[in-house]
Amino acid sequence: MADTIKCPVCGRDNSADQEFCENCQSRLEPLTGPLKGADAPIKPGQAPTRKNTAELEPILPQWLRDARDSARKSAEDEAVSQIGKQSQESFSASNSDLLAGLQSHADSDDEETPDWLTSITGNSAASKKLDAESPEVRWVELGGASDFAQEEPPVESSSEKDEIADWFRDASGSLQSPGFEQPASSSHDSFIASSDTPDWLRQMAAEHETKDEVVSAKPFDAVPSSLFESSDTPDWLHQLGEDASKNSDSFFTDAEPSAGAESALPQSDAPDWLSSLGAGSQEQTPSADSADFTGPVSGEKEAAEIPSDEGLPDWMKGLQPTESEQSIQAETPAWLKDDAQPSTESADNFELPSWLSATSPTPEKPVQEEQPAQDDLPLGDIPGWLKAAAPQSSIYSDSPTEEAAPSSDADWLTSFKFPSEQTPEPQPQLPPVFSTDEPAEVPAFTGDAQSNYNMDSLFTDMPDWLSNAMEEPSSTSASAPAANSLDSLTPGELPSWVQAMRPLDAGSSQSVANDQTFESRGALAGFQGVLPLTTGFVPTSKPKVHSIRLQVSDEQRSQAAMLEQILAAETAPEPIASFSALPTSKGLRWLIAFVLIAVLGTLSFMRTQIFSLPVGVPFEVSGAMNAAQAIPEGAPVLVAFDYEPARVGEMEAAASPMFNLMQNPNLTFISTNETGAILAERFISGPLADTDQSGIQRLNLGYLPGGQMGIRAFAQDPEFTFPQLEGVTSLSQFAALIIITDSADSARAWIEQTSSSRGTIPVVVFSSAQSAPMIRPYYDSQQITGLVSGLYGSAVFEQNMSGGSGISRNYWDAYSVGMLLAMALILGGGLFNLALGLRDRAASREEK
Amino acid sequence: MTTLDLITAILSFLFTLLIFSYLIGDNPLFRIAVYIFVGVSSGYIAAIAWWQVIWPRLIQPLISAMLTGSLLEKGLIFVPLLGAVLILMKASPRLAGMSRGVMAFLVGVGAAVTIAGAVMGTLIPQVMGTINSFDLASASARNISLIEVIFNGAFVLAGTIFTLTYFHFGARAKVDGSTRRNGLIEISAWAGRIFIGITLGTVFAGVYAAALTALIERIMSLFNFLGNFL
Repeated sequence: MADTIKCPVCGRDNSADQEFCENCQSRLEPLTGPLKGADAPIKPGQAPTRKNTAELEPILPQWLRDARDSARKSAEDEAVSQIGKQSQESFSASNSDLLAGLQSHADSDDEETPDWLTSITGNSAASKKLDAESPEVRWVELGGASDFAQEEPPVESSSEKDEIADWFRDASGSLQSPGFEQPASSSHDSFIASSDTPDWLRQMAAEHETKDEVVSAKPFDAVPSSLFESSDTPDWLHQLGEDASKNSDSFFTDAEPSAGAESALPQSDAPDWLSSLGAGSQEQTPSADSADFTGPVSGEKEAAEIPSDEGLPDWMKGLQPTESEQSIQAETPAWLKDDAQPSTESADNFELPSWLSATSPTPEKPVQEEQPAQDDLPLGDIPGWLKAAAPQSSIYSDSPTEEAAPSSDADWLTSFKFPSEQTPEPQPQLPPVFSTDEPAEVPAFTGDAQSNYNMDSLFTDMPDWLSNAMEEPSSTSASAPAANSLDSLTPGELPSWVQAMRPLDAGSSQSVANDQTFESRGALAGFQGVLPLTTGFVPTSKPKVHSIRLQVSDEQRSQAAMLEQILAAETAPEPIASFSALPTSKGLRWLIAFVLIAVLGTLSFMRTQIFSLPVGVPFEVSGAMNAAQAIPEGAPVLVAFDYEPARVGEMEAAASPMFNLMQNPNLTFISTNETGAILAERFISGPLADTDQSGIQRLNLGYLPGGQMGIRAFAQDPEFTFPQLEGVTSLSQFAALIIITDSADSARAWIEQTSSSRGTIPVVVFSSAQSAPMIRPYYDSQQITGLVSGLYGSAVFEQNMSGGSGISRNYWDAYSVGMLLAMALILGGGLFNLALGLRDRAASREEK
Repeated sequence: MTTLDLITAILSFLFTLLIFSYLIGDNPLFRIAVYIFVGVSSGYIAAIAWWQVIWPRLIQPLISAMLTGSLLEKGLIFVPLLGAVLILMKASPRLAGMSRGVMAFLVGVGAAVTIAGAVMGTLIPQVMGTINSFDLASASARNISLIEVIFNGAFVLAGTIFTLTYFHFGARAKVDGSTRRNGLIEISAWAGRIFIGITLGTVFAGVYAAALTALIERIMSLFNFLGNFL
């Protein structure tokens, strides 16, 4: 991760040691050390931070800058209107952003001013505050188009300046060189710490102490005085301060404190190396961006005077700006603008330089980022004493050159810069002399950035300064400079207004749940607690419990009870008065069974023939006998065995006389009962065995499935149903139909389903005694020819046909005794029950 | 007596005693006999269904049709097979719906056959028989006197009317809220109850006579079995 750095513009990976992208030549990391890492994309849960995007201003389109400038101008005009008229005339609006920040910082928080800075100024905090700089006056650097000196022509020729100003401008111009700033700041610190101060410089410091109060109250004067008062101040710097104090009446003390201080030094007294340095540096910094400050002084005429390195000290020679550093533009330092306000008195004493007067209060330009080339300055070239003194130097602390210093210097620089950001109030005391290096801001960076930045992102990501300028132009103008100097916007990060619209992290919902604060942003700004407490549905209170009990009055309750009683009365069964029946007695049951078995067993075992067979012949039995006698010999007779095995004794006894009566019929047995086939076999091997005659054909067709449908199908086409009946295509081809059944339903089915197909063939039914009452109507209606039911009918049939020898005769005594016994039991039971009834009635009568 | 007859006689004797044991109440011996009868009867019925229904009426015609039958015969023979298979679907509750068509056909045909047989074989002949009760010609053919014919006919007619009237339960509500049938209907219903009682008595007598005959046959079989060893 640390090996490569992703370009924020094009996204290409670059090695970590590279400062610019290989592809788009964009800066890979922000110049401002404290901002490093601060511009990282926001992460979930991270609170949105306010982002200032002032550094992107140079790459904005012209229309946008114009709009911004107009906003600033309105704010500035409002502030400037409170200042005196002289201040408005003598000072240009092109102030330095950086110094404006220092101004506000010093004004609001003096105790945070480093000691070294206080010692440099030589004045107390109160004395630093100029009269002309009222608290209302806030020199806010908003950055303007005028700050970019390349667009402005030189307003004053070099001939209008005195010699001191010339060399000082030369010196300041040389210091404006970004390449020279870093070593210059270090060298300045080294002047303080070193005891090798030249004598001439010490002399300048002594002279500086005797200067006018007006001059000494100025920030410019404070710096050299402090420098000279300090024991660590080099002698040459002391001398420089003294000279600057003496020449406080020069316009440089008013317009350009730092330059004025330097210009205060008599050129004759100034060392040659310093003069040449100033000329050389001024000439070697032809940047157009420094037009506000250096432009006027860096004329072509003066630029030709390039000092030689011979007059410089050795250490100073090494600090000669490189060719690339000389191209860096410098902005007008803010301290220069601030310093110009209190110096109204001195400004009246001399004529305002044309270049300065020509500097119109044009809209300010934003603070330029320092030149990338400044980072390339090797610290190894700086002497050790200079490195050690570097953090203590206040005059370079707010300089962009020092912002571009290596990250090791960022701490002390950050501590100096943030207060100014927080307190944007006007700062009376401005950085001293060497703050003139600040204009050495590198406008070249803006050019590169402008060419490399994605212009579309500017219209999609609205920067803060733009939104703030539209909403609060006056307030933003005060805080913009500090923000402009600190922020750098990478294309990948979210704008602050987008961050403000970001929802809070879900993890903080609990804390948000109890949040009753006012909404400060968005559409709900100004409302309190209108947002949901938590994400999702959360019941706010316990559900209200409703009673399910029916709310009825007493009257309604009584009516409901009456209705229930009515319904219950209608559905309640009415008791039916009935006589009491005898309970079933197991003893009685055993008694009856014992009596029957004993009587019947005895009679059966004894084979008695006490009771004679019935003589009378009923009509139905007579019809059966006639039908049996009417069957021709060898005629086919269909016999249906439809009774249960339990009735085999009765049915065999009832049907056997019939078969004994017939003359060698061809019997065909069929059954609609599953057990009928085997009962037919039993009948054949049983009763018919005794009557077996030669020539009798017996055919057991077996089971006829289908119930009534089977009977009907068989009656319509017997041959189709049973192929054994070859040639029998109709039921009427049989000579007779004999139905042996113990069920009236079976007899009825045969009678009904064969009525249409049997023709006039006789139908004789041998039924059980229990089904005879239901079959008898079919005989009365003449649907059947004869009916022999039970043992009685068999006994009659047997009595009349065979003379009373057969199965019926064997069962007749037992059957007769059993019938009598049954009648006796029924009669006895009836009489007993009658006796009980009479007794109960008699008892009731006695009771009555 | 052959061995088979002896075994049959022994089994008949034992099972008869087991059934008689029901006189002392429900007991295992009675249940054993009943279960054996039920099992034997079921097995026998299954054998009858196979050998007398399925095989001769479904399998054999199918084989015959497949071997020598025409296409029409082959198609027709599959109809009962398909019907039988669909009826077997009733064993599964999920597939029981597939047998609805076949069952509908069977019920429809059975109902038609039953109704037609009942109307043509029972209702109309019975009405005609009741009417013919007063048929003098028929009575004379049976050598029945006129008075007897009229009395018998009147008795049958009265018994039929009274019995049918007994099953007339229609009544009107009176002013006091009570419901009571018409007086004539009440009288006829009362007379009908007599006829119904006599009929039920006759049926009971027939049941008793049938049961008595079966009992006598069983007792006789026991004694006959014992008589073989005496």
